[in-house]
Amino acid sequence: MKTKLSTLIAVAVLGLSSATFSVNAFADEGKMVGPVTKITLAADGKSAVAVLKDSKSGEPVSITITDDLTLDKLKDKRIQPGDEIRARFDKDGKNTSKSFKKTAGC
Amino acid sequence: MDKRFKQKLLAAVIAGMLLPAAAMATEADLLKRIEALAQQNELLAKELQALKGQVQANEVKTAQTAEQVKAVSAAAPSADAAALEDLKGQMALLQKKSLGSWLTVGGDYRFRYDYLEGQTKTFTDVNQLFTNAQSALQANFFANPSVTNAGALSALMMFAKDMNNVKTFDGANAFLAANSPMLTGLSGFVTTPATDKSAFVPAYQPKNNSLFSNRFELDLNAKATQDVSVTAKLNMYKVFGSQNDGAVTNAGSAPFFADRVGVFDGTLGHVPSTSYLNVDRVYATWSNIADKEMWFSIGRRPSTGGAPSNLRNNTAVRPGNGGTPSLLVDYAFDGVTLGYAPEIDSLPGAYAKLCYGRGLETGYSDSLGNSLKDTDMVGLALVPIDTDPLRVWLQWNRGMNIFDAPTMRATYFGDTVAKTNLGDIDWLGAGFMTTHKNIGPGTLQVFGDVAMSITRPNNNVSAQFGFQGLMTGAFFSPEAPTSKTGTAFALGVRYDLPSKSKFGFEWNHGSKDWITFAPAADDMWTAKVGTRGNVYEAYWIQELDRQPISSYVSKAFFRVGVQYYKFDYTGSNNWVGAPVEINAVNGDMMTTTPLENAVNLYATFEVKF
Repeated sequence: MKTKLSTLIAVAVLGLSSATFSVNAFADEGKMVGPVTKITLAADGKSAVAVLKDSKSGEPVSITITDDLTLDKLKDKRIQPGDEIRARFDKDGKNTSKSFKKTAGC
Repeated sequence: MDKRFKQKLLAAVIAGMLLPAAAMATEADLLKRIEALAQQNELLAKELQALKGQVQANEVKTAQTAEQVKAVSAAAPSADAAALEDLKGQMALLQKKSLGSWLTVGGDYRFRYDYLEGQTKTFTDVNQLFTNAQSALQANFFANPSVTNAGALSALMMFAKDMNNVKTFDGANAFLAANSPMLTGLSGFVTTPATDKSAFVPAYQPKNNSLFSNRFELDLNAKATQDVSVTAKLNMYKVFGSQNDGAVTNAGSAPFFADRVGVFDGTLGHVPSTSYLNVDRVYATWSNIADKEMWFSIGRRPSTGGAPSNLRNNTAVRPGNGGTPSLLVDYAFDGVTLGYAPEIDSLPGAYAKLCYGRGLETGYSDSLGNSLKDTDMVGLALVPIDTDPLRVWLQWNRGMNIFDAPTMRATYFGDTVAKTNLGDIDWLGAGFMTTHKNIGPGTLQVFGDVAMSITRPNNNVSAQFGFQGLMTGAFFSPEAPTSKTGTAFALGVRYDLPSKSKFGFEWNHGSKDWITFAPAADDMWTAKVGTRGNVYEAYWIQELDRQPISSYVSKAFFRVGVQYYKFDYTGSNNWVGAPVEINAVNGDMMTTTPLENAVNLYATFEVKF
């Protein structure tokens, strides 16, 4: 009985511990609109860092892009410095992009 | 003890006696030495003091120097930092003032060669028939101004006047019943010496084996304020050696198609005419409304050259939020759009647009209250997904108070104006575009569109076109207003190779009652998407392998292609009158020349900057 109870407690503790490790999966989301000031493609082509100038604060914000569709647009210049972008990203330290597209219009 | 002891004692006494003397002598010497040492010590102390003084002085100097260095060091970075900040400020100001920060300029030039050949059906040219009748009766009267000849000429004039006053289907029937003899008499003017031109046109093969044209377009985009921009496109399109549209409208003879009778409001710059620069597009857009992905855009709209015509035109593979599906609309509308793009992760790129455009402005109402109504179009576009691999579109649009003729100058029929509203037309459409990478060495683009047109005619008929209604009737043979439903589809592929060669094939089909609104389509014979029959097109694009300079999308390329039109029915791109099966046409009275089939070989050299 005591053994079972201690096992149960241990499992509960482990479970709670693992839950704390997964907190990062629900990182805060950032949103912004602003023109691209710089694009840096990684040498392997699997990621890129785009610096956007926040239209509200005027501050530069670096966003890491890893999805292939957006990377394709960066590579063939369909998105280039000067283009206004609406971005959503995870505030995970690298500002990993969730959505990166030109502002809609026309 | 004696002796020895005594000796020792004596020595000791002597030494004792001498010792003070020696000691006295040493002491003096010692004192001297001590004095000397003391003097030396004093000197050393003085020197030490002096040295201490020097050290202190040096320390003070060092401290002063250090402070000076500090002061200098403190002053130097301030000066550099200030200079740097000043420089940054100047750079920011220059960047702000530079045109590139707010103005984008681009455009394209195109040279095009066309070879055009077709096969017509035998028909009776209505316009020539009336011209013959008028000319003959006038000639008779001037040759012999008799009562009979005057009466005949007056009767024709009265006939024309009364004909123009007919507005409705019932009115048309009444007119025809009352003027039966005149109608019969008209057939006698198929030929007349007065004009030497027969209204009866046997089947023939029209051909133009060398049509050269220039087209120029200039694109401007200005960021006026945050979230507000103005976009414009200026264009010019003319054939070599001409400042009018005669080369494509079959000048001097009955035009082949209603959308190539002449240029009008929404086709100027898209059908070759003059070298005058035309404002094809100009609209202001307010984006990011309420910090949402919402926009309002008003002006002369980007409603020409929409998807999927971008593939054969070799423009951007994905058209973005602008434009209209080319199967439904290809016309430079003046209008407004309200758009919204929600952030839906499962539907990337989704957006919706509500659009309005004016097709015809009729001005002030007349005193009788029988005013012609403005022709307007409204539409709703839904794009649930818009990504490189897949783009899907859905659209509904309605044309209201459709006119019977646009305002045109110097056409085969003279100057034309709208004289009646014929009813409304609804359009429904859906389509997709996909991009498949790494299909062999290249990329495969595929598209598919389907559409439906549903006419809603009113009771009006067009007197200037022989009492034909909205997709109803024939010349002088009116049909009761009846809703007609037509369908169409368009399929195509384009294979892009790393060598910058692109090979495309397209096929579109339209049913008997299919009608679209695409008179500005980039086709010489007629807008191929409006064909009541089949059109097959194959093309090869070869881009020059050159580094872009003026912009990242700049390029130059050759394009060679062929179109083959097979018409099943008459009246492609014409909503006035009912279509007739092409094989059944044999001398019928028609306003346009019926084509059975046509071919267009073309070659272009195009530069986009």
